[in-house]
Amino acid sequence: MAKKLLEIKNLKQYFNEGRPNMVKAVDDVSFDIYEGETLGLVGESGCGKSTTGRTILRLYDATDGQVLFNGENVHGRKSRSELKRLNRKMQMIFQDPYASLNPRMTVGDIIAEGIDLHGLAKNSKERMARVHELLETVGLHKDYASRYPHEASGGQRQRIGIARALAVDPDFIIADEAISALDVSIQAQIINLMKKLQREKNLTYLFIAHDLSMVKYISDRIGVMYFGKLVELASADELYNNPMHPYTKSLLSAIPIPDPETERVRKRTPYDPNVHQYTPEDLPEIREVKPGHFVYCSKRELEQLQASH
Amino acid sequence: MEKLLEVKDLCVSFGTHGGEVQAVRGISFDLYKGETLAIVGESGSGKSVASQTIMKLIPMPPGKITNGEILFDGDDLVKKTDKQMEKVRGKDISMIFQDPMTSLNPTMKIGPQIMEVLKKHQKLSGSVAKERTIELLRLVGIPMPEKRINQYAHEFSGGMRQRAMIAIALAANPRLLIADEPTTALDVTIQSQILELIKDLQQKIGMSVIFITHDLGVVANVADRVAVMYAGQIVEVGTVDEIFYDPRHPYTWGLLASMPSLDMTDKAELLDIPGTPPDLTNPPKGDAFAPRNRYALAIDFEEEPPMFQVSETHYAKTWLLHPDAPKVELPEQVKRRVRKLAASFDKPVLAEGEA
Repeated sequence: MAKKLLEIKNLKQYFNEGRPNMVKAVDDVSFDIYEGETLGLVGESGCGKSTTGRTILRLYDATDGQVLFNGENVHGRKSRSELKRLNRKMQMIFQDPYASLNPRMTVGDIIAEGIDLHGLAKNSKERMARVHELLETVGLHKDYASRYPHEASGGQRQRIGIARALAVDPDFIIADEAISALDVSIQAQIINLMKKLQREKNLTYLFIAHDLSMVKYISDRIGVMYFGKLVELASADELYNNPMHPYTKSLLSAIPIPDPETERVRKRTPYDPNVHQYTPEDLPEIREVKPGHFVYCSKRELEQLQASH
Repeated sequence: MEKLLEVKDLCVSFGTHGGEVQAVRGISFDLYKGETLAIVGESGSGKSVASQTIMKLIPMPPGKITNGEILFDGDDLVKKTDKQMEKVRGKDISMIFQDPMTSLNPTMKIGPQIMEVLKKHQKLSGSVAKERTIELLRLVGIPMPEKRINQYAHEFSGGMRQRAMIAIALAANPRLLIADEPTTALDVTIQSQILELIKDLQQKIGMSVIFITHDLGVVANVADRVAVMYAGQIVEVGTVDEIFYDPRHPYTWGLLASMPSLDMTDKAELLDIPGTPPDLTNPPKGDAFAPRNRYALAIDFEEEPPMFQVSETHYAKTWLLHPDAPKVELPEQVKRRVRKLAASFDKPVLAEGEA
């Protein structure tokens, strides 16, 4: 088995803690991310998938729980330099390629910001060479370095965002809805690029999205979130062919498939959270139903699931 | 079947500082009573401009209709004045938009926003309008409508807002509903509810729907016929089966091949469409898709292809259908879905009229 790059243990992120409007955005979530894999995280808006991603990077201070990156707790007490070292290893690509690039900076400066912060280039010549190389890596002409973001199209901006993330030579990249704002044909370009980079640089991805067909395509394993909880986690094929949690089933039944004949006979199965009928003694948690397939369930449900699968 | 709408050689352009952008470049299509026509294409392909032009919602100036007719029940909408259009909008033709938050009035309760339509177009009195509003909200699946009419848009969730939008659009029993990416901003579970709702209401009321989207899954779900737009033109139009199982235009192939399918087990590379759409201030000579087209022929860079007809209902605008064109190998992902459809002609013929 591959090495664990990240271990997320009982991660909690509550907003407005202790007040009446408290939101449990991430509620006791645990999972591992292996080196070189792509883990997909799906769920509806507001289920906490983006918050999970951001908390892993320490963009939010976790309410409770641990995030271990190569065995080191990201949320522990850290000096500036320790934090900087960690930040360099973990990068993020954002959803909105329009809002995530500073309109007053040239593309070259945007990409080189990380290089400057971490002192990765000795002189301006080396810095520029690095920027040109990065632009080439993401399939853009090196002339882009002197342009401004508004001159680029959505797909090109997303490439710039990827180049910026790659600039500091990270091990782990979180792509938070990185393709949702793009057209189908451009989505395919970006996905192909991300897969190519992963092969070449042995990157690990956490791919957060709500487009399940794209997630299935790019991910090795997929986690499904619902109301701040991770309800199911399994390999991509297993999750699609053999979903166990009723919410996953409902989610899968809702995806429109580009095939008119399948669509004519589609039956949607709604999810009713009341089916579980959890009592206080049930203590539902994420349990391994079969090797590599985790479901959020009670002891009783676990036995039922194991009997039927 | 009876035609509700006939669009003939419509051209729309916008005057900008950088020159005149030709957003829609001569599109023609018919819409029959009770059917759903999906218009697909990338951002900037002109699908939204085309549909907004039908309602004359584009700002004029800078926009202008430079050519063509829009016949709604035989009546040319292009010639109508703003005042006359007010009688059409919301009554005969309604529209729902992508973003239900910005298209509802945040300072007005939901109830009065629906009653407004009823009072104006149906000439209903206050109390009758209120009753009908409650009925409409119930129809679109909003629970406790008596309470909901006194709430504001921000008290509604995204899916509920879209339902309220649909209630407004349907208030005057329109004959044509234009839905511009109505589910793009919604989650898949909510999306499927809204799609079911639109289809269900369409059957009850018998209206025609123009559904604009870039999600081919949604198209497969809702459409009777599909028009594929690229760079301001319709490049292929046909029944939903013809587009999904017998596509003829290389751009349609590209769209179909660039999506992963859920049953895809191999992790083969997605076939993207290289490059970006053309700048419509200076539309390229010849076929606008040629620079991004893996199957482009020499003539594509010289001369714009005419519309070829593949069956009674299926048209495609590509030189590849010309008798002298070489045979090409379809992309793997497309080949898997292609089958012979009974209705198609033995040989494509040059289309005489318009699609």
